Amino acid sequence: MADLCRPGSAAARLGRRRPLTAPAVAGALVRALTDRFPELAPTLWTDEDAVEVQIEGARSVEVLRRLRDDPELHFWYLADEAAVDYGVGEHFEVVYHLYSDLHPAWLRVRARVDRSSPHLPSITELWEGAMFHEREMFDMMGIIFDGNRDLRRIYMSPDYRSFPQRKDFLLPDDAADSSAAGVNPLERPETWDLSRFSEEVAHSITPLLTLGTSAKGAGPEAGETDADGTDADKSRPR
Amino acid sequence: MTAVDPETRIPDPIELDRAEEARLHAALGVDLPPRPGEEYAGFDTVGIPDRPPQTEREAEVYTLEEGEMLVNMGPQHPSTHGVMRLVVKVRGEVVVDLDPVLGYLHRGIEKLCENATYTTVLTYVDPMDYISSMHNEHAPAIAFEKLYGIRAPKRAEYIRALVVELNRVFSHGLMMGFLALDMGGLTPILYGFINRDEMVELLASISGQRMLFNFFRVGGVNWDVNDEFISRLSTWRTNVGRSIGDNEALITENEIFTARTKGMGVLTGERAIALGVSGPNLRASGVPFDVRKAHPYSIYNELEFEVITHSAGDVYARYLQRIAEIKQSLHLIDQIIDQMPHGPVQAQVPGIIRPRPGRAYGAVESPRGLYSVYAISDGGPNPYRFRMRDPSFISLQVMPVLMPGHLIADTMAIMASLDPIMGGVDK
Repeated sequence: MADLCRPGSAAARLGRRRPLTAPAVAGALVRALTDRFPELAPTLWTDEDAVEVQIEGARSVEVLRRLRDDPELHFWYLADEAAVDYGVGEHFEVVYHLYSDLHPAWLRVRARVDRSSPHLPSITELWEGAMFHEREMFDMMGIIFDGNRDLRRIYMSPDYRSFPQRKDFLLPDDAADSSAAGVNPLERPETWDLSRFSEEVAHSITPLLTLGTSAKGAGPEAGETDADGTDADKSRPR
Repeated sequence: MTAVDPETRIPDPIELDRAEEARLHAALGVDLPPRPGEEYAGFDTVGIPDRPPQTEREAEVYTLEEGEMLVNMGPQHPSTHGVMRLVVKVRGEVVVDLDPVLGYLHRGIEKLCENATYTTVLTYVDPMDYISSMHNEHAPAIAFEKLYGIRAPKRAEYIRALVVELNRVFSHGLMMGFLALDMGGLTPILYGFINRDEMVELLASISGQRMLFNFFRVGGVNWDVNDEFISRLSTWRTNVGRSIGDNEALITENEIFTARTKGMGVLTGERAIALGVSGPNLRASGVPFDVRKAHPYSIYNELEFEVITHSAGDVYARYLQRIAEIKQSLHLIDQIIDQMPHGPVQAQVPGIIRPRPGRAYGAVESPRGLYSVYAISDGGPNPYRFRMRDPSFISLQVMPVLMPGHLIADTMAIMASLDPIMGGVDK
């Protein structure tokens, strides 16, 4: 698969080490982190207002739990959880941004995930609000969070079969790189599968009331069937 | 429609990763959805999945016991604050469980931004949370300035702070109206829209747009303040106390409103933190977390303000929290106008920006909470990764937690008190 349109691997360029230039504000946090996680010290570097540390994906729950529960670190708020794709042949990264009122810097934890088997422990046991973040990452990147009890698609429809934010999913604009040679599937009506729109919906198993108009029910051929078997179109909107 | 020869047909990029996808689904322990032409396994028209449940949670919501029923709200329900669907499981009139179904407004803005130059990204983020577009532009502007290693001039920072606080006032003002509207009170939303119209005209006089302002630039803002803006601003500042006060007088002490909102939808502070709720919703549960204080950006460390909290955590507290924050924003606006320095409003920035490889995190306090952007540069003209954390997306997770035990008529009141905007939820 074609890499990005730019020469060289993005991950290689991004992986370039930077000198550790800790501003005075983050000094206490850097010290506290090196005390508690000596094995992570080589990966530590600081930004204008963030301290960054890199871990192996499998350790994420353990490290984040210690970061949250340690009274001197006390990173109690999960600000963000996002996935980054470094391209085919490289790896995924799940990035956690944490906030603590003891330290004037965001803590960025970058967890590395193998691209060929993208599994990562779910952190919904630590912050249940990570649920939607993880569902979004599963939907967009195809990363599987073990232990998440609601890992299904959130934006795309349940029968969608691809992961749109991966770097090998190319937009139609990238004509030169795209294997579809710049043709958006949606622009080729001959490939549309319209069968499902005319399909009669099997008699509703459950009585169900719709407040407002339903998604696809606007067309008369949608064939929505009432609980008692009569055609519901005549009485719309209910 | 012309038939396509399967031999010469150009394959979709989507079709190429079938093998990998099969492996992923096998790892998940779910069957691969059939291809087009095979049996369709999506949602039917009325909302119950016409297929075996994919997850434990989905099975829990969509399995009915004796006496339970599913009610489908939306996606075009007038009170869903955009296009979303709530599948509500009810027993009689009491809600047992709830499942928000999102994605009706999904435009893939993150992906579009990753294929746009840094300057263009600031136009793409506008229609996300369309009630607070200024905040949407502020976070990427901060992140890109960190990446590029520049700072906006002082006057630009003051103008930014001024417009985002103005935007916060009108966003919170609208929320008051929507909350009352969702409980059957029609008047406040009309007053709310009168206020809002004055404010969008005010913001249009400085940015040129009423809704999607496109005002921020990397390294500054598009325009300096002009005469029309200043005259409108002074008129607005004279009248705003009264117009907001009028609206507040209609709602705050209203007996029906208080009876319906006090003690309803109580969210405790611990639960709110665990759920990732931020902004006024979190502060209404007693947690004093405000990005403007926690990680001061722009000029907020030069201004004087306090983090307001309420302790009750119910719908009424969330409403009062907004009122208090409107007043606080007006206080901030006064300070900004008083202290605004002279000088340029835009730093010297080339048309196409190529920051050094690196990562930056920019977070702002939007009217709905912590709105942040995580941008990665690989040295090219567009961001390698552009991630937005939208507060309303995360706040929606509260709905299944708060709703069980409440009446179905309260669904919309509780949802309106969380103030989600679907443009931001669906990205």
